[in-house]
Amino acid sequence: MRSTPTILATAAAALAALALAACGSSESGSSTATGSASVLSTAGYQSPATESLSGKRGGTLVVLQESDFEHLDPGITYAALDYPVVFATQRPLYSNKPNSTEPTPDMAASAPEVSADNKTVTVHLKEGIHFSPPVNREVTSEDVAYAIERGLNPNVANPYIKTYFNSLEGIEQGNGGPIKGIETPNKHEIVFHLDESKGSFVAEALVLPLTAAVPKEYAEKFDKNKPSNYASYEVATGPYMLKNNAEGKVLGIGYVPGKSATLVRNPNWNPATDFRPAYLNEIAIKLGGSEPVIDRQVLEGTNIVQNEPVPQSGVRLAAEHYKDQMDISPGGGNRYIAVDNKVGPFANIDLRKALWAATDRDALDRARGGELVGTVATHFIYPTIAGFEQAGGAKGLKVDYNEHPEGDMAVAEKYIKLAGYPSGKYTGSKPIQVVGASSPPEKEDSEIVNQTLKNMGFNTKLTLVEISTMYAKYCGVPKEEIDVCPNVGWIADFADPQTVLNVTFNGKSIEPTGNVNYGQTDDPKINAAMTAGETVVGRQARATAWAKIDDELVEQAAAIPFDWEKTPRLEGKDVHGVAMIWNEGAWDYSFTSLK
Amino acid sequence: MIRYIIRRLLWGVVLLIVVAALMFILFRVLPTGNPALLRAGRDPQPKLVKEIEVVLGLSKPLTVQFWDYMKEIFFHFNFGYSYYSQESVKSLIAERLPATLSLTFGAAVLWVVGGLSVGIVSALRRHSLLDRTLMGGALLAISVPEFWLGLVFLFLFSSDIGKFKIFPGAGSYVPLTTDPWKWFTSLIMPWIVLAAGSAAFFARLMRSSLSETMEEDYIRTARAKGLPERQVVRQGVRSAINPMITLFGLEVGVLLGGAILVEAVFNIPGIGELFYKSIQTSDFPVTQGTVLLGSMFIILANIVVDVAYAYLDPRVRYS
Repeated sequence: MRSTPTILATAAAALAALALAACGSSESGSSTATGSASVLSTAGYQSPATESLSGKRGGTLVVLQESDFEHLDPGITYAALDYPVVFATQRPLYSNKPNSTEPTPDMAASAPEVSADNKTVTVHLKEGIHFSPPVNREVTSEDVAYAIERGLNPNVANPYIKTYFNSLEGIEQGNGGPIKGIETPNKHEIVFHLDESKGSFVAEALVLPLTAAVPKEYAEKFDKNKPSNYASYEVATGPYMLKNNAEGKVLGIGYVPGKSATLVRNPNWNPATDFRPAYLNEIAIKLGGSEPVIDRQVLEGTNIVQNEPVPQSGVRLAAEHYKDQMDISPGGGNRYIAVDNKVGPFANIDLRKALWAATDRDALDRARGGELVGTVATHFIYPTIAGFEQAGGAKGLKVDYNEHPEGDMAVAEKYIKLAGYPSGKYTGSKPIQVVGASSPPEKEDSEIVNQTLKNMGFNTKLTLVEISTMYAKYCGVPKEEIDVCPNVGWIADFADPQTVLNVTFNGKSIEPTGNVNYGQTDDPKINAAMTAGETVVGRQARATAWAKIDDELVEQAAAIPFDWEKTPRLEGKDVHGVAMIWNEGAWDYSFTSLK
Repeated sequence: MIRYIIRRLLWGVVLLIVVAALMFILFRVLPTGNPALLRAGRDPQPKLVKEIEVVLGLSKPLTVQFWDYMKEIFFHFNFGYSYYSQESVKSLIAERLPATLSLTFGAAVLWVVGGLSVGIVSALRRHSLLDRTLMGGALLAISVPEFWLGLVFLFLFSSDIGKFKIFPGAGSYVPLTTDPWKWFTSLIMPWIVLAAGSAAFFARLMRSSLSETMEEDYIRTARAKGLPERQVVRQGVRSAINPMITLFGLEVGVLLGGAILVEAVFNIPGIGELFYKSIQTSDFPVTQGTVLLGSMFIILANIVVDVAYAYLDPRVRYS
């Protein structure tokens, strides 16, 4: 068994480092990465890393949100926009406090116990946690088991269970019924048996909402529908619940699609079992509208927040006139230029390095909105994810093509020559395909990259399409053989570095459609390191192992990272908004309060 | 006349079947996005995508899907369920229809009354300063996009973020049955914005049509016979208005298109917004339901217009 103190000590150390970095951010905010502090907070603005978690009890928070939710069922939900509601109403086994990427026991009573062979994970549950009405009874380990098992029911079809829990014994046979690898020895203990040594990684994944308890006797009838409509009747374990009627119906009452969602206090919530303060009495979410109007309504309003990434116009408005009403969170994911490692000119490593050297990453960053929305990236594991510091922190790996964020054509020419083009310019005649998104700021990024390629001697064919088309028809379809996709990115599902690098750069993850290994990186050495990295035990060791893989990706110039995204959020004058550093800076309704 | 109306209604049904078939081809045969793929997460595994396709009924042969789809719509009036909220499309539409009807009917009244009045005044005061001002304004109203005009109105006149806090702003819509006064005030700006373009178009057409009519021989004759000018104008307007009636039916389609943007800007939970969001998320049943409803409105509006035309112009008789 891995000892609990080890996990806690690691967590405490990482938190301390995070806080220290945030506190020492006097030079922060530069678009050029100069130190770790600048990537965790932005000078003059609130950051979830340093935000006070205390608040005043009471009041109703109004949330304005242009987009509707995708799925509020904890077994299906997989969108940053849905999570603020899901995590205010549901309690997974572990959760992140808003200012932390370290899991805190939530439904669990203590840290997970991972066996010495890394093949068994045991979790003890707290007692005294109850489902909201109409279920009302106490939560047991069987409810957690059912919550996970139903993820394999095709009517529920959880989108990540086979990515993160694929080592559970019997998962391949699972279809919603009991899985061999999940055992519930008693009402407050659940054991996960794995057929591979991935216990430490599975333990990290227990923060996902799939592990939030679901009462089988209540949900089963909804899960039989194709698709399941449990979300229309879902019950809560968290401090809030979606308003419902006596039968538990939420649809049309606590959630009116496209119109509103209303969170009220869960009468069965016991604060003694939870770390959430739950200051607010009610959260009234109004759906719809348009961003420019919402931004102004929030900035000129009182008890209102906006809960979506803010467009550049809103960021500018807040920066100029409402500085203290903008919260900027790091950890919004990475952005990189994907280049086809398999076919075409960029199968040549030296041409990839040349493009890295030539790219003006400062300009790409500025096109996205500059220091308020990003920091120039030097590698792939981004701030707030374990392994960031081990991979070189803000400066990254010391290689000549990574030294000058403003672009260095001399270094680029050196690598073009090494690639076999003595003039220092690429002289191949075949045009290369560049496909980017047509909306700002991706359009501007694409044009900058396209110009860089031209400066290097490439004959380019730039195609700009709607962003979903870019992924669905071009960059996510290997057979299209797109040479360069200038603006792709990735956001981790939780703070383990494997979730940043594995599906995006592991050759085993290449799929014919919906592919997210955009550059088709398939390096046997990197693949082997990732396979080994999956079984590493302990947060620190995992961070180190995956940081080495990150280094290797930089050495291979598998793609060209250019931005670590920050996410600004806006709050009204009377709101003490607390954002989730682990969820793209979305507001945490269980910690947010009114002044 | 009755036979004509029945024939037009039957043709309307045929047209709706064609629209439904086209919608099916557009969204199922030539999909803009596979909803199963969207539902399968960021790293969609092929097996999971197939499972979701089965659950959503997308794995059946297209002919079976088409028959099921048409059968449900035309025999059971069932448009299916939203892929996301699981709410029936019929309920979603029914819930939002009053808001869209409030918006479009109000805007249509404003556009007809406003457009025709301005057109008549301009025609009767041709080349005057008033005429030039009104036509200049009309040109501006035709040219500006509704989305932009909506934002300008909000930033100028809304009670929350406006410079002059006069009208309730975005998100203030309340149903007529809840509070008639709030309903009315919340729709003033959206009505103006939605009606502006069509009203301006009608004003220019009316001016041109009435100007020509007022120079016809029978108008001159009426004046020569000493008919009061008021009655002369009435005769002229009655003749000049006929082309507008035909255009009204066509403009209903434009109005519904504009409602999508106006509902988005003013955050009115109507059909237009539902349609717009369903396109963004490949929620095909919702898209199909809303487009069919829109088509039905346009077909009905055109039938009403054709019948009205016969009443207004004695020379037109349908058999």
